[in-house]
Amino acid sequence: MDLKPFEADNSVSCRLTSPIPDVCRSEDCCLGVDEAGRGPVLGPMVYGICFCPVSKKEELKNLKVADSKTLTEAERENLFQNLDEASSYVGWATEILSPNTISVSMLQRTKYNLNALSHDTAIGLIQYALDCGVQLKEVYVDTVGPAEKYEEKLSQRFPGINVTVRPKADSLFPIVSAASICAKVTRDRVVKGWNFAEELGDVDTDYGSGYPNDPKTKAWLLKYLDPVFGYPQFVRFSWSTAQTLMDSKAVTVHWDDDEEDGEKAAQRQNNRSMLSYFSASAGANNQNPSHQTHRFFTERRLRSLDTLEV
Amino acid sequence: MATKKKRTPNVQNDSWVVIAADSAIDTQKHDSDPTFVRLRNPSTDAASLYLLGSGDVQLYEVKAFQEDFRSWFVGQSVQRDGRLMFVTPMDPLYLILPYLIKSGKEGKFQPLDQVIMDEELPACSRLLSCTRSLSSLHHIAEEKEVGGQKFHRYSQERTMNWLKKKVERTVVALKKTNISVGEGVKSTTYVRVKSESGTHEEDYLRYAHGLISDYISEDLSRALLKHLGLPELTSPKETEPPSKKRKLSDKPVEAGEDYTKFNSADFARKPSKKMSAAQKSLAKVDKTGMKTMSSFFSPKVKTEKK
Repeated sequence: MDLKPFEADNSVSCRLTSPIPDVCRSEDCCLGVDEAGRGPVLGPMVYGICFCPVSKKEELKNLKVADSKTLTEAERENLFQNLDEASSYVGWATEILSPNTISVSMLQRTKYNLNALSHDTAIGLIQYALDCGVQLKEVYVDTVGPAEKYEEKLSQRFPGINVTVRPKADSLFPIVSAASICAKVTRDRVVKGWNFAEELGDVDTDYGSGYPNDPKTKAWLLKYLDPVFGYPQFVRFSWSTAQTLMDSKAVTVHWDDDEEDGEKAAQRQNNRSMLSYFSASAGANNQNPSHQTHRFFTERRLRSLDTLEV
Repeated sequence: MATKKKRTPNVQNDSWVVIAADSAIDTQKHDSDPTFVRLRNPSTDAASLYLLGSGDVQLYEVKAFQEDFRSWFVGQSVQRDGRLMFVTPMDPLYLILPYLIKSGKEGKFQPLDQVIMDEELPACSRLLSCTRSLSSLHHIAEEKEVGGQKFHRYSQERTMNWLKKKVERTVVALKKTNISVGEGVKSTTYVRVKSESGTHEEDYLRYAHGLISDYISEDLSRALLKHLGLPELTSPKETEPPSKKRKLSDKPVEAGEDYTKFNSADFARKPSKKMSAAQKSLAKVDKTGMKTMSSFFSPKVKTEKK
């Protein structure tokens, strides 16, 4: 697995792929989708697919791939090695969604939530396999959100392919287990060698599991909180753990689309709230009502000052 | 997450982001530094911020571009104040004009240093050091020289001609810079196939007059409008079409339907129904202290507001 393409710029997403086995182009194939690193506040989320001919399902079972969560890191590395060696009939691909991508998606003006991001990434990887000429007939997916809805969405998106969405699919179908191992191994390797874009000096990498409830992770988040910038790009800003810490410890930053309500906010934004239309002194907030600045200035947000102070 | 953010209190600012004309910060020719001064804004009659270049030779006005949710990154620091200030050259005559008009009401020729005086804003006397001030005073005042001393008196006629020239020059500048002066908003990114045909000379003139009006008093603005030969705009309320009224016709008013049948003698009212046994027993119930059903639908008695 060559991580260089991602390490060159870990602020964006990156796809890593294996060569496509020839049999996958000629025989009916099954494909498994799984993800790793959905919950942590640190590091990327990785989506993995694994595919092989339907006829080779038994051989895949013999590789003893199992749900990645039940395995140690060394066992996972071993199994990934096995998968890579079975390259005559097994192919894989992983998509690394950098923490920065996750933060930006979830916090942008039109919110793009984690489920939608997950679904789209899964769809992208399945489409990638199709584009490479893999003869997909069966797709197995570990669920994100309600299974029926997700299954319907994927079936509609890929007509002609039998889509099965199940919770715990990674322990039910070997091809999903294989995908989960690819995803997990990729994530482990990426996190281990994380290249901090920020000038942090010798970064303390003892941040524990990266999950919000891990005390080590919390301590790390406190240590690397910058009052102005918040966190390095390694942290998912959209996680409430990160947001709560920034709200209490960092400088308050106001954005254009902050949700604020009430008369005060309206006044500050220079809008008139609905209520003001019903009160007696509607619109009389201009200090000097007789003077109106010309629209040349108001359109350009230009105004005279009476003092240099804000 | 919709957490309410507290605004941190404004801290004192000791730096500003300013765009200034080179001449404004040129200190080579004169010994004194450029300074910000508060002078009377001729349009609002209140104090506004201006800048006098070094040696008080040139006057600049200070305008700020200010929008919500803006901050600056300056070098290695963050500046909360996201304003962008512009220091642009300005004709000092605009600021001298109100003082001249005020003293001109007495109709006497007076020495300038007695005219340009302001107890609240004493810096106004520095306006007289501006090179343009004394040399261009004849645009707005008549001049007399007695015994080597100059005396001035405000002239409305000269001022109007001067302002008219200003408007005309503004029109030229507006055309050159492609500023939308017509009704409505024009997008700069929207490319029109046909050349602008909707904007007339009068639109430019009116726009320029409006711009100049931001530098003169309201009275002068109105006089200037007349001088330019522009009719005053009526308020939109008056131009609104009158509300629709029913057309009157000569025909006698007649009801569209015949409602008389219910009033005629042969229209027999139905006898009121007899109460059923259940209704009778309900009617006997002790109703003291009970509210009628209808009371729940009547407007609430207003409770006193806190």
